[in-house]
Amino acid sequence: MLNKRLLAIVLSLCLIAAACGNDDDGTAAVTAPAPTAASTSSSTEDAPQQAEPDDGEPEPGEAEPDEAEPDEAEPGEAGPAPASSASLDVDAVLAADLSACGPAPTGEALKIGYAADFSELGGFVDIPGSSAAAYFAELVNCVGGIDGRPLELVVRDIEGDPETAGRVAQELLDDGVTAILGPAFFDVNQAILQVTAGHTPLISVSSTEPLLADPAQLSLLASFTDTAQAKAAAQFAVDQGWQTAATFSVPGPYFGYVVEVFTEEYEALGGEVLGDYPFVPAETTDFSAQVNEIAALDPQPDVIYSALLAFQAAILGGQLDEAGIDAEMLVADAFTATGGYFIDGVEGFFHTSHTFPAPDGRMVRFLNSYEQAKGTALESDSYAALAADAILVIAQAVIDTGSLDPVTVGEAMIAGTGVDGLTGVLAYNGGGTPNTPVYVHQVVDGGPSLAAVYEVFE
Amino acid sequence: MTEIVQQLVDGLGRGGEYALIALGVGLIFGVMRMVNFAHGELITVSAYASYGLALTGATWWILVPGIVVTAILTSVLVEFVAFRWVRSATDFAMLLTSFGVHFVVQAAFVMFVSASSRHFARPAWITSTVTIGGIRFEAIDLGIIAATALSLAFTVWVLQHTVYGMAIRAAAEDFDTARLLGVRSDQVIRMAFALAGLLAGIAAVFFLMRTGRAAPSAGLIPMLKGVLAALIGGLGRLQGAVIGGLLLGLVEILLVSRLPDSVDGMVNGIVFVLVAVLFIFRPTGILAAGSSQRP
Repeated sequence: MLNKRLLAIVLSLCLIAAACGNDDDGTAAVTAPAPTAASTSSSTEDAPQQAEPDDGEPEPGEAEPDEAEPDEAEPGEAGPAPASSASLDVDAVLAADLSACGPAPTGEALKIGYAADFSELGGFVDIPGSSAAAYFAELVNCVGGIDGRPLELVVRDIEGDPETAGRVAQELLDDGVTAILGPAFFDVNQAILQVTAGHTPLISVSSTEPLLADPAQLSLLASFTDTAQAKAAAQFAVDQGWQTAATFSVPGPYFGYVVEVFTEEYEALGGEVLGDYPFVPAETTDFSAQVNEIAALDPQPDVIYSALLAFQAAILGGQLDEAGIDAEMLVADAFTATGGYFIDGVEGFFHTSHTFPAPDGRMVRFLNSYEQAKGTALESDSYAALAADAILVIAQAVIDTGSLDPVTVGEAMIAGTGVDGLTGVLAYNGGGTPNTPVYVHQVVDGGPSLAAVYEVFE
Repeated sequence: MTEIVQQLVDGLGRGGEYALIALGVGLIFGVMRMVNFAHGELITVSAYASYGLALTGATWWILVPGIVVTAILTSVLVEFVAFRWVRSATDFAMLLTSFGVHFVVQAAFVMFVSASSRHFARPAWITSTVTIGGIRFEAIDLGIIAATALSLAFTVWVLQHTVYGMAIRAAAEDFDTARLLGVRSDQVIRMAFALAGLLAGIAAVFFLMRTGRAAPSAGLIPMLKGVLAALIGGLGRLQGAVIGGLLLGLVEILLVSRLPDSVDGMVNGIVFVLVAVLFIFRPTGILAAGSSQRP
């Protein structure tokens, strides 16, 4: 009897832990901020860059550029000149030949810590992210470092655990790092912020959680926020003429928050969300109950929006098709993060993404360079590019200030008005988010096809 | 009315998958008095085996036996490597050992394969449906229900009509006495793990057909649902495992369908509350197992 009670308790804890682990921040109690701070630039007169979704493999540049926005160049190509007169030449870094480097930089080293999550929870981000960051540091040092300073990357594993994350953060501070690259999830980043206490900048490589963008704590994101991607998705849906939508969500950050913002924005733009249906990230493998409910809707939804993991989106798409529901699938960036392009049954799906892998773009050049040098491909394209961008943001602040003091560098990062990166131009303008564009891709012939690009300023 | 019948059909399909896993969990509990939290790793290992086979161009005609054989071999191997050394230990030690196996397998795949999931093609018919009288039957659900019924019948037949089965039952009743009477403990336990592996393998076939995904934690949720189903039905009772699985699937589907939007994210929470309530009235599950009734 006692044994069974013990088992019931253990089982309950396991399931709760598993459910929490799938949340973006693992903390259901976190309240997402109202998305009013953000405003899309994709109004009628200030239209987003947009291409026909089914036009094959477009040149990103063929999208109608937003005149007011800084990403007139192709994704990953040089944008407007950064505010600082001096900057790291990204193209030169990417072109570096590790077998023929220049003289090694001899100045005082710029130490950057990477509190990486190598656990099953966050490893899909930080394993490729840390490899990319380490390789990018090699390339930077190969072309003379940052203003003559060698770049030293210190990578430590937080094991997906907030307590370990706090300890690792302290170790990195003891190592004398100027800034820390942070992991994906909210709770572990929060643990790091408690240690850095606003005295050392933290830039999360892959988190899209708006609450982490807190200039007061010198906490920044390297990517756009969930607010931005959900607003862009809503705008895209309306631009396609999709008037009705159904959503899938689970309460809480990311999986719930993007749907919340999408719904608000979509309805503000004239669309109607017919219903929201539950799912459990990584757990739900059968959507028959939800599909039956959607099948009974009148009118039918034109689009299904969610932050489903890629394999779940594929299952849902198949079940919708089989039920005769002819709705487009529009998914958040979890799609690529969870291997969307390696899954069958997702042809024609749309998803938001951090950049577009243009064949001659910086991201693709970086990935190719890595593969050539290391003999193996990085598992993630976006996260590799974001890791390099995070380093570039720190490097630019060091160049701008000539200092390695964490607070000075952190403040300069936040004040940055345009760091030319791999995913676009990262302009914090006093905030914690880089205001990089949101790309909308469509899966065409098993590969990404650029459907639209949106600027969403926060 | 059609709506309710549809939900019952959907629930049986989902529950059948849980029941298949619960059967294996119940079987091992019957023999070793251990809730095997490593049972899900049989699905995880099978998932990676499927991925490996798929890379070689193998079709599902090859994958299906490959998955089942992998699950059986993994189950026997896990018993040989981990559980045989703690047979005489306390229940708690065995429980911890099963957790240990779970974490070791998970970490091994993260370290030596990837933390990212791997994908392989699902069968083309996987979401196919047939509609009879306004009720849509998914092909995979029909397969699961049939497989569950056959698995239960086969397991019961093995336990009641084969020498090994009788040895397993004897060992489950009183392991030491069974040994004194000549039952070879190693063989009996190995056989029980092989049988549990077979059941996990059948469950894995359907699970992997639906998801086409190998991930270090692929087996975690199915295992938790299977253990929960076994607890609901009554640990150690095979029929109970099936009833528990089907009931769990039905309740989940009904909650997803019937809960208002404002609370529909609480399905798992409500399921656990219902299970807790069940345990208040039936502390040992729906089919409480007397000592002479196991497995």
